[in-house]
Amino acid sequence: MRVVIVEDQALLREGIVALLREQGVDVVAQAEDAAGLLRIVNGHKPDVAIVDVRLPPSFTDEGLRAAIEARSQRPELGILILSQYVEPVYTAELLASGEGGIGYLLKERVGEVRAFVDAVERVATGGTALDREVVAELMRSRGDRSGDTALDELTPRESEVLGLMAEGRTNAAIARAMVVTPGAVEKHISSIFGKLDLPSTDDDHRRVLAVLAYLRAAND
Amino acid sequence: MSTQVEQPSADRTDWGNALALESAISALIVLIVVFLWGVTSGGYFWPMWVIFALAVPIVVQLAVRRALQVPPGPHRALALHGAGSGSLVLIELTIYALSGGGYFWPVWVIAWLVLAFGVHAIIVARRPRERELEERVSELTRTRMGALDVQAAELRRIERDLHDGAQSRLVALSMQLGRAEERLEGQPEIADLVRRAREEAGNAIAELRDLARGIAPPVLADRGLAAAAEALGRRAPMPVTVDVDLSSRPLPVVETAAYFVVAESLTNAAKHAGGAAAHVDLSERDGRLVIEVWDEGPGGADMNGTGLTGLRHRVEALDGTLTVSEAAGGGTLVHAELPCGW
Repeated sequence: MRVVIVEDQALLREGIVALLREQGVDVVAQAEDAAGLLRIVNGHKPDVAIVDVRLPPSFTDEGLRAAIEARSQRPELGILILSQYVEPVYTAELLASGEGGIGYLLKERVGEVRAFVDAVERVATGGTALDREVVAELMRSRGDRSGDTALDELTPRESEVLGLMAEGRTNAAIARAMVVTPGAVEKHISSIFGKLDLPSTDDDHRRVLAVLAYLRAAND
Repeated sequence: MSTQVEQPSADRTDWGNALALESAISALIVLIVVFLWGVTSGGYFWPMWVIFALAVPIVVQLAVRRALQVPPGPHRALALHGAGSGSLVLIELTIYALSGGGYFWPVWVIAWLVLAFGVHAIIVARRPRERELEERVSELTRTRMGALDVQAAELRRIERDLHDGAQSRLVALSMQLGRAEERLEGQPEIADLVRRAREEAGNAIAELRDLARGIAPPVLADRGLAAAAEALGRRAPMPVTVDVDLSSRPLPVVETAAYFVVAESLTNAAKHAGGAAAHVDLSERDGRLVIEVWDEGPGGADMNGTGLTGLRHRVEALDGTLTVSEAAGGGTLVHAELPCGW
């Protein structure tokens, strides 16, 4: 897995690089602005770019825009956006930029080393990694405004599984997080897909996309 | 006063020369007339009328010239008025004296002239005060707007400083704690301590995030009012439509105030409208930003709640207005207008 990092603050950039290298992740290049991102993406052919949403010169959302542009040039590129805020507008734009290989995490999640490395790997392989705050927002607004009560019919355990799926976690990771067997997770998932009337599939990524599509349906 | 007057010196010289020439000719004429009166056996001193006739234009000229030294404006008009009236009074008195006294007939004309001059003087005396006050008000309005705008910009700077400073350091700290945790696999007790320290750092980051959002929401600074209103609509627990028709971005201070009007109104609608749909409309009219937020609920929102009072203060500080009324469909309508400062 080849990773590039774009973060303007040296303290954080170096921290992330050191952390990933300790976990055996191959960080092939670093940059500190949007132009640098496009340059290293074209020069180093990474699997995933970890990008700070705020970059110079205007420190607004250059990171997001540049990442979406880089992706339009290399559709197979995974993008993991790091931000200090959960901003639904940005998440929506990111999710709309294409299927899979997408992540949006709050910066402090980097400190949860295992989960972070797991997220980077998922995004690199075409999976999804959404911050739990993003998912909570999606689930809240879906439940509030869709008018259908399917989400209310889920048991608390099933809601928890749904949330973890929306974050992009694999079944095995969900089983670990909930301290249950993979078989139990499978059961919950088929029950959720039945209640929400979603097409069933064995592919983890496809399931995640189905769940996200469902949660976002009332938001666009 | 005369030293402050700016007049082309050539003008003054010409005028002075003309007056001197006129005076000299007048003096010559007086001399000839008095001589004629002398050689024609004297008697009634009729040359005094000639002297009077010659003196009048000189006196009027001197008076007008003096009046013109006053700077242009209401005060010069008053001075000219005074010069004219004064000359007339002087002429009347002289005629009265030269014609041998008796009934003091000039009293009526003088009374009217004095009255007219007095009224004029009062008007002039009052007007500068009004104008001064007007200027002061507009100056205060401008400087207050400036001060508030500086304040809004300053708050955004603080938000940015928090982001780049304290928040980033805490993020770096939690990364380092995370790395330490990974190396402590063999010592679960210490690893647990480190994990708790990392979680505390995470809580501090979350609190700073909420604080920064309350100061200046990042999406407002990044994307402007339209995007920020959309974001508020998405976040609201009920369906919200957002219509924005703005040609450009208002000043930061106006933008922030408008943002909080929308935010607070939607919070109120969520509380009182029982999940009914709400609508946000942002437009500009005659240089004013018009914000309307209404819901389709049953109405009855608290018009004097602390939230709305705080909002009203925020809006009024910008010379804006905020009213809460019943919407067409029975819900609550919040209508605010803010000068854009474009």
